[in-house]
Amino acid sequence: MSERPPGPTADAESADTGPRFVPSPLLESLALDHLDPGYRRAADRRTEDPARSPATRRASFGWLLAGTLVIGLLLAVAFQNTRANSAGVDEARGGLIDDVTRAQQNAAVLESSVSELNDQLRSARAAAGGGALAGVTALEQMNALLAVTGPGLRIALDDPEAAAGNGAVLDRDIQLLVNGLWSAGAEAVAISGVRLRLTSAIRQAGGAILVDNRPVLWPMTIEAIGDPSTLQQRFVSTPGYGRFTSFEQLYGVDFEVAAVGDLALPAAAAVDARYIEQPQATTASDPTTAVTVTTTATPVPTIGTATTDAETTGTSVATR
Amino acid sequence: MYAVVALVIGVAIGLLTSPTVPDWLGPYLPIAVVAALDAVLGGLRAKLTNVFDAKVFVISFVANVLVAALIVFLGDQLGVGSQLSTAVVVVLGIRIFGNAAAIRRHIFKA
Repeated sequence: MSERPPGPTADAESADTGPRFVPSPLLESLALDHLDPGYRRAADRRTEDPARSPATRRASFGWLLAGTLVIGLLLAVAFQNTRANSAGVDEARGGLIDDVTRAQQNAAVLESSVSELNDQLRSARAAAGGGALAGVTALEQMNALLAVTGPGLRIALDDPEAAAGNGAVLDRDIQLLVNGLWSAGAEAVAISGVRLRLTSAIRQAGGAILVDNRPVLWPMTIEAIGDPSTLQQRFVSTPGYGRFTSFEQLYGVDFEVAAVGDLALPAAAAVDARYIEQPQATTASDPTTAVTVTTTATPVPTIGTATTDAETTGTSVATR
Repeated sequence: MYAVVALVIGVAIGLLTSPTVPDWLGPYLPIAVVAALDAVLGGLRAKLTNVFDAKVFVISFVANVLVAALIVFLGDQLGVGSQLSTAVVVVLGIRIFGNAAAIRRHIFKA
């Protein structure tokens, strides 16, 4: 950029313009030499040679016009480009949001059709009669595939700092709490409307808590159905309860446990069986296998007393 | 005066034709914009201090854009492209501020 003038003139110039042409320290020159030194030198050349021909004048005028034109063009193009890009980004974002909402609506429709079909299945099963089919209901109940009602506990949990991204409550704390509920005798547990089944996981992804791979927002409500006379009493002595009472004092986490007479918990999402297959002929022709499975795999004591229509009577039959 | 008119005409052409910028040129456009602002303010300051020279103006602008683009290109190839474009913006930004301050001192005498 700042080409050095040829030998003798350079000496002459550096003599009168002083330190400008002495290589100065980098930061100093950055802070002081804002104007391109070429301007000063060109002006010096002009003063040395004041008689300029009109041709050079016109040429320099042309240079000026061309340069400013190019600069203006550049600024405008950059402006247009930036605007076009941001529009594209917005468009893509909007498209993705639309996709997500459409997929969510689709999932909701499918879920409602699943529960409808399940109802049909259950009524058809009830019409077909008891026997081995009663065991199916019991198994479904065990894996939280039926919506249930009953008395139990409602835990209101709120982490005020969670929205800011530095919440005190982690996934493992909620795991401990829920495990406490199970060990206190809960028969069905739902976290903010997401029913826990045998394979449910409570995990954390970034700041969000995922229950059964569904994000659960603060504040969350944990509902557990169980024997009202012993559930709370036994729950209070679990380590999960102790941890959350200390969270309440240390971090200001809202933690309230209330006994509720009538809770209604939804059914869990059905297990996606994608790879397992049942050999059709044997199960159809040999119903005794199904019976043995149900009888051996039903250690829950409520089975014997529960009626086939578990959804209306509720699962929590006090058998503690 | 004519320079301002030419600048406005350039902006108008750019806005009206709105040419599409090829993708490979994308990263160099912001650098070129900063270099252009530097050239404009430098030229204005030179004009006010009566040392303006059109040839120096154009050549310094073009050379600044090319060198800045070359630095960023090299950085891109070596994996430090964003850092080097930051460096270019900082250096040219300091010059822009210095020239703007000089112009302000010249106009307002303060």
